[in-house]
Amino acid sequence: MAPKAIASPIPDSLYPTLSVFTLAIGLILTASFFIYEATSSRKTRNLTQELATGAVASVFLGFGSLFLLLASGVYV
Amino acid sequence: MKMKLNLFSFLFTFTILSSHVLSISDLILTKVDRRIDLSTQIVRTTTTLKVENAGSDIVSEILLSFPENHAIHLAYLSATLNEGRGKAKPSSGVSLPYDEVVSPKDFPNSLKVYSVTLPKGLGKGDSLTLDVLAVFTHILQPFPEKITQADIQLLLFQESAHYLTPYPVKVQSLTVKLPDARIESYSKLENTKLQGSELKYGPYQNIPPFAYLPMVIHFENNQPFAVAKELVREIEISHWGNVQITEHYNLVHGGAESKGEFSRLDYQARPYVRGASAFRRLVAKLPPRAHSVYYRDEIGNISTSNLWGDSKKTQLEIEPRYPIFGGWKIAFTIGYGLPLQDFLFGIDGKRFLNISFGSPINELVIDTLIVKVVLPEGSKDISPSVPFPVKQRHETKFSHLDIAGRPVVVLEKNNAVPEHNEHFQVYYKFNRLSMLREPLMLIFGFFFLFVASIVYMHADLSISKTSASYLAKIQWEEVQATIHQVHTIISRCLTTHDKLEASLRDLSRTGDIQACKATRKSVDSSLKELTKELKSPVTFLQSSPQATQILPKVEEVIAKERDLQERLMAKHSTVVDCYEKKLGGREIENRVASHQQKITALRQEIDDLMDLIDEI
Repeated sequence: MAPKAIASPIPDSLYPTLSVFTLAIGLILTASFFIYEATSSRKTRNLTQELATGAVASVFLGFGSLFLLLASGVYV
Repeated sequence: MKMKLNLFSFLFTFTILSSHVLSISDLILTKVDRRIDLSTQIVRTTTTLKVENAGSDIVSEILLSFPENHAIHLAYLSATLNEGRGKAKPSSGVSLPYDEVVSPKDFPNSLKVYSVTLPKGLGKGDSLTLDVLAVFTHILQPFPEKITQADIQLLLFQESAHYLTPYPVKVQSLTVKLPDARIESYSKLENTKLQGSELKYGPYQNIPPFAYLPMVIHFENNQPFAVAKELVREIEISHWGNVQITEHYNLVHGGAESKGEFSRLDYQARPYVRGASAFRRLVAKLPPRAHSVYYRDEIGNISTSNLWGDSKKTQLEIEPRYPIFGGWKIAFTIGYGLPLQDFLFGIDGKRFLNISFGSPINELVIDTLIVKVVLPEGSKDISPSVPFPVKQRHETKFSHLDIAGRPVVVLEKNNAVPEHNEHFQVYYKFNRLSMLREPLMLIFGFFFLFVASIVYMHADLSISKTSASYLAKIQWEEVQATIHQVHTIISRCLTTHDKLEASLRDLSRTGDIQACKATRKSVDSSLKELTKELKSPVTFLQSSPQATQILPKVEEVIAKERDLQERLMAKHSTVVDCYEKKLGGREIENRVASHQQKITALRQEIDDLMDLIDEI
């Protein structure tokens, strides 16, 4: 069985594009999270919605910052 | 009696333990051709031995011996079987294993003996050809030891004109290749010929074993004597697609030491006369597709470098900040990145890294070579496999996004030469899911920030819960919530109005009266519901004292909305009527004109008021 070359799961050339898109979506979700926090009053606030928006925003921000680090040459 | 027994058992165990029972087998070297290359600081000796078995036993090992003063400088030794005849196939054979042996009593002292194991034994009367390559470092002595800037560098080389071997030699010859420069003096023994820059000793016939005929050559050599006192080579693997190599060099010029002043003017004006033995450039051969190459030292980046690459290699030419004369030191760092798929392979569930061991700089002698392979966190069962003996140890390195640190394999080798620049492998196991640990750490970091802001917004940090200002704040928040509710209800009313208008437009397009009537019915019922919903918030606002300012506006909006509703209904009925009576378009327009005007005006006012309420 000949040895097979191992490469990264996502091609290198896609890192900058992926980082821009995921960070953009993450920042939009962060903005919507903070808008919800600012416009809602104590009565109308919904904890589930807050946590859900925060979780999805943090997933996109996390991946976006990882791809940003990889695209700028810091291979973590 | 007891002592004798002890001594006997000691000797017995000693003879059992000594791995080679050394008896010089009856081999004869029929032809020995030696070629010594003195053109660089590294002395390479290529010896071609034609071995014949003159005895009756099958011989499975051949002994090679070196005088002690040479053996301490021996950096690399390789013996190969030469299958072809003459010079047709230079090094087609696989390197034979050799081992250092303890020289027995009948060997003269101060000899180091190596035993080469043959793959199949040499039978009686058979002969074979063996190619031996021995590489020596620090064996050329500068003589004079200290020179000024204007002097040339002269070196002394001592060797034996007869090949030192435990077997008798029938015919032998020695060729010494000297650099294209001045030859100060050489030993004039019998059969000595100097042809250009090649010195030939021989042929000598029928020399007994352990013959030693000293000869000395004093010659000029101006090649760069770059010696790295220590080289730390760090290879860091990231499974996201990069192998980063960082090399820290500590170079010194290993030739004749420089004494006296250094005159920059003399050096710049005539570099080949004043400073012939100094070197100003080093050339390194990096693997192809190397990227992000940098060359710096403690001060900062060094810009005097050139890089060009093709598909086979990337060539880096570096020029240190000053020319290196004898005894001068320089320290710098070279770093470069390589694509992962060229060096990392997977087989049978394991992964292994296949990369070169030594330094990429040409003709560099390294006194201490330390190679550190940093594997990603989560690698297990690490085992390196190097083609020559090295010292191993394990370390941990903390780098980006690490929790427990990355495992590091440290391989150390003394006295390394470019012949050691072979590929070595490091095997390890890695679970693919461990790669997710890094983005998960970042995700949890960001999520923690969001949770912190949620907690901050939910936390009630007021100290007194009965003070007037606190109560006022609570009431105002309730009013805000109710107004928000009213706002949403009125927006829903407006959307139902839009639905009605849309149905009218559909009617003008398709002429389907029944569908229009059906929409009218549903809109009627939803508007009735919405009016009911409005009742409770309005009553709350009327009762609360904080809402006195906003209340008139809210009531105005509600009133206007009701008005709009009525007019829309009227308009709708008129249009449907006209369609039933099959009146023309102009007629319809006339009838609804007045309604339409008021409707658009009211709509505008309602929108303005809604914006005003929204800003509260």
